[in-house]
Amino acid sequence: MTSFFDHTINGLIIGNIYGLVAVGLALIFGVSNLINFAHGSVYMVGAYIGWICVATLGTPLPLTLLAVMAGCALLGMLIERVGLRPLHGAARIAPLLATIGISFVLDQVVQLIFTPDPRALPSQLPTWRMQLGTGSIGALDLFIAAVGVGSAALLYGFLRFTRLGWAVRATAQDRDAALQMGVDVNQVNQVVFALASALGGLSGVLVGMYFNNIFPAMGFQATLKGFVAELIGGAGNVPGAIVGSLLLGLVESYGVALLGTSYRNLFAFLILIAVLVWRPNGIFSSSRQAPPEPLTGTFIAPSKPLLLPRWALATASGVALLLPLVVRDSYILQTLANAWLYGMLALSLTLVAGTVGQMSLGHAGLLAIGGYASALLALDLGLPVALAIVLAGVITAGLGTLLVFPAFRLRGHYVAIATLAIGEIVSLVILNWEWLTRGPIGISAIPPLSLFGWELVDTAAIYWLTLLVVIGLALLQHRLTRHHLGRALRAIRDDDIAARAYGIGLNRYKGLAFTVSGFVAGISGAITAHMYSYINHQTFDTQISVLALTMVILGGMGNILGAIVGAVALIGLPELFRGFAEYRMLVYGIVLLLLVRFRPQGLLGTV
Amino acid sequence: MFTKHTSTRSFGAVVLLVLLSLLLAACGAVAPSTQSTSAPAQVASSTQAPATAASTQAAPAGQTSGDPVLIGVSGPLTGPNAQYGAQWKKGFDLALDQVNDAGGINGRPLEYIFEDTQADPKQTVAVAQKFVNDPRIVIQLGDFASPASMAASSIYERAGLVQFGFTNSHPDFTKGGQFMWSNSISQADNAPILANYTVKDLGFKRLAVLHLNTDWGRTTTDLFVQAAKERGAEVVAQEGYLAEEKDFRSTLTRVRDANPDALVLISYYADGALITQQVRATGLTQPIVASGSIYSPKFLELAGTAANGVFTNTNFFPSEPRPEVQTFVQEFTAKYNEEPDSFAAGAYDTMILVYNVIKQYGTDRKAIRDGLAQIKDVPSVIYGTVQFNPETRRISGPRNIKLVIKDGRYTVWDGTKP
Repeated sequence: MTSFFDHTINGLIIGNIYGLVAVGLALIFGVSNLINFAHGSVYMVGAYIGWICVATLGTPLPLTLLAVMAGCALLGMLIERVGLRPLHGAARIAPLLATIGISFVLDQVVQLIFTPDPRALPSQLPTWRMQLGTGSIGALDLFIAAVGVGSAALLYGFLRFTRLGWAVRATAQDRDAALQMGVDVNQVNQVVFALASALGGLSGVLVGMYFNNIFPAMGFQATLKGFVAELIGGAGNVPGAIVGSLLLGLVESYGVALLGTSYRNLFAFLILIAVLVWRPNGIFSSSRQAPPEPLTGTFIAPSKPLLLPRWALATASGVALLLPLVVRDSYILQTLANAWLYGMLALSLTLVAGTVGQMSLGHAGLLAIGGYASALLALDLGLPVALAIVLAGVITAGLGTLLVFPAFRLRGHYVAIATLAIGEIVSLVILNWEWLTRGPIGISAIPPLSLFGWELVDTAAIYWLTLLVVIGLALLQHRLTRHHLGRALRAIRDDDIAARAYGIGLNRYKGLAFTVSGFVAGISGAITAHMYSYINHQTFDTQISVLALTMVILGGMGNILGAIVGAVALIGLPELFRGFAEYRMLVYGIVLLLLVRFRPQGLLGTV
Repeated sequence: MFTKHTSTRSFGAVVLLVLLSLLLAACGAVAPSTQSTSAPAQVASSTQAPATAASTQAAPAGQTSGDPVLIGVSGPLTGPNAQYGAQWKKGFDLALDQVNDAGGINGRPLEYIFEDTQADPKQTVAVAQKFVNDPRIVIQLGDFASPASMAASSIYERAGLVQFGFTNSHPDFTKGGQFMWSNSISQADNAPILANYTVKDLGFKRLAVLHLNTDWGRTTTDLFVQAAKERGAEVVAQEGYLAEEKDFRSTLTRVRDANPDALVLISYYADGALITQQVRATGLTQPIVASGSIYSPKFLELAGTAANGVFTNTNFFPSEPRPEVQTFVQEFTAKYNEEPDSFAAGAYDTMILVYNVIKQYGTDRKAIRDGLAQIKDVPSVIYGTVQFNPETRRISGPRNIKLVIKDGRYTVWDGTKP
């Protein structure tokens, strides 16, 4: 019984920490209607500004926090002004890609200045602790709780009762209508970014002090849990974010108590899925709330896609096919083979994210299912590799669709976060299902690629195989989406209510799209597994899901050729930038930002 | 009505595609151009490729001249594991300063090309192709994580280039082929030593084991638990945690309920420090024994006063009086103004070993592989002297120093039981 009490306290303490992050995200996610990947980086920058203040300037706590908030608010305004405002009027997805690029740049800059080593960030609060049950809580716990609840209350009041707060909400609902009503939309956005970034920085420095540990890559993981907590409470619902965070903390703590530490995140992501299924808008939003309908701009496509004539496509394919005869360097062939494998992943994602508008951030999970299925079929059942790969595609199609099914009734950003959670669940199940997947040890000695008894170990052979598969899958997808089916899927993306009124069964069409998508991604994962010969639960991680989305946006949403071009570009660029050594990923981030700045609709345009 | 536009636009797209592939080709074409050792080819490669020039290479020293003998390093310089790559470079550079001052490989400088892979398998396979095709590369070191290294093993094996995974403790790594070698401390060696210290020397009988849930952590834990049981101890709790986890309170409540008389951490320094700190903050008073992988000055900094009283056994201890350790520690501190950790020590050791192998057996890739099987008595910070088992392609018998942390410093354990 005492343990139950202790687990409750533990859950509330960590929930408290999540709350701090979730409140900042609630503002930016709910109000500016953008999954801001740069928020985690601002959080990290806040922690480092705090470190400079504490460790080198020796400022007292209030001054430290003030400096962090001011610095991060400025950074937020800069991000809005330089990174996002120029993209207004461009494709809606462009800002998302811009935040990914900004996040790369910020993380890399901090890493270059401060080295990647973790640093201690000592707490400046008194060290007394209060006995509670058999555990204890300290001054910092109470302070974090006060900051979390206090900022939530202030924000709530700001959005509810001030004129600027009204303007913020009006802008969120319909930017053009707000503009017509005389709201200075740019100024409003700047205020939102300044506020949210100040909060983000504040949480970074406080969480850094709490764990006495900061490092340049700390942002991504921290904001992941913040997102989960915030969606449990309801996107954009600031008080809900606090309650959602505490609930998440409690569920995790009880989960650990019940099954052990390695099941912790499994509980976190399962509770998210459960909440999204039972109450798709979070536990604190009324389920009847209609989605905001923007007045203008909805039906005007931001760009026309580039349409290539057949002869050009045929020539390009021919050149690609003949390349190994001219270029003998296996490094180039290997890089392009990687690009073809990621091209399959991007094809898979562009179908669901681009054509159907179901943005998925969990596509690495499909690769993992495909990879494990094929590896285990070939190793444990002794199936020929070619058969195992095809079966793995079928298994991924089935299992993937089944897993994503709960997300079918969600819309917009909720789909993205739900699929992110599903991807994490796949990875955690692989980690814990030891008798099947061999847990953290992973699967080694996976047989190499072979076709009709011929082992494809030569790089040129792998190149040809992956190229032929990607061309085949692209043609298949082209045929599927060219006529009626493609129009139905695009109708769901453009206006699902109208599509349903027109007699399009949403679940069936989404299911069909995810099945095709799962098959394509499963094949890609399976080939990868045989090429690598060793995989474990970390081989296909969340970073790959983000990379896949980046490729799809860069190529042009729903654009089949664009997906492949995006894959070639994003696999090729980091290789091209090898000469920059430590500066490589910084250059990559900057190039990404420039590409989105000048080609916001994607290289080949949205279809 | 679209067609008029598209024919002109499509040109743009085709040009774009072609440009991308050309760029890729141009960059990769650099490596083979140095295949011939004639002078014009050398000039061409240096003007054409800022890539190799900007790649991290050790500064050539005064006494050496001629073409450098090149080592390919595949490891993380960016991304979440970048701090380990940064430590590697420090260890490598120090070792190269020493060997090149002593004349390098028969007058030729020994240098390395460090290719950043972020410990990401898709980049390690590309880098592997790059290295095997570059005839100047005589041996490859890395990658950091086992999934990244093992994805590239078949490429190195087929090309006959030694893949020396000096941090790859995965039991299957060296089973990848005749060219997979490692001087990473075998957990089959290390875990029983830790078990001996914990159970026999310190006398703990009821153990709670917290381990990093990776291939390394899990392998070590399984071996440790087995060894501890053989020595009469009981493992009352075993908890695996993810590398990105930060909060351990609930885990520690579970541990407390199991009523152990000591906690055993199979951790790296950052996560080990977090756990140590939270053990004390949640009011647990049991002693902590940690695997040697936590050995780093950073552990003391991150864990603060909670670090006091932690027992660990390390393979590398800067205060050890052996001359090879003292040379390493003094020169490292002088060069970088900080104390080395076990990752820097491993990198330094590896570079010294590679130097000795190349010096004795030549720069031929196959000869280096055979040399690894034969080499003896190379002084080593971690092993004392190095000799491989040609069957497992690993080294056994690492040095072992029992430590306890007192007043924020690592000190040699004086034999008093807690």
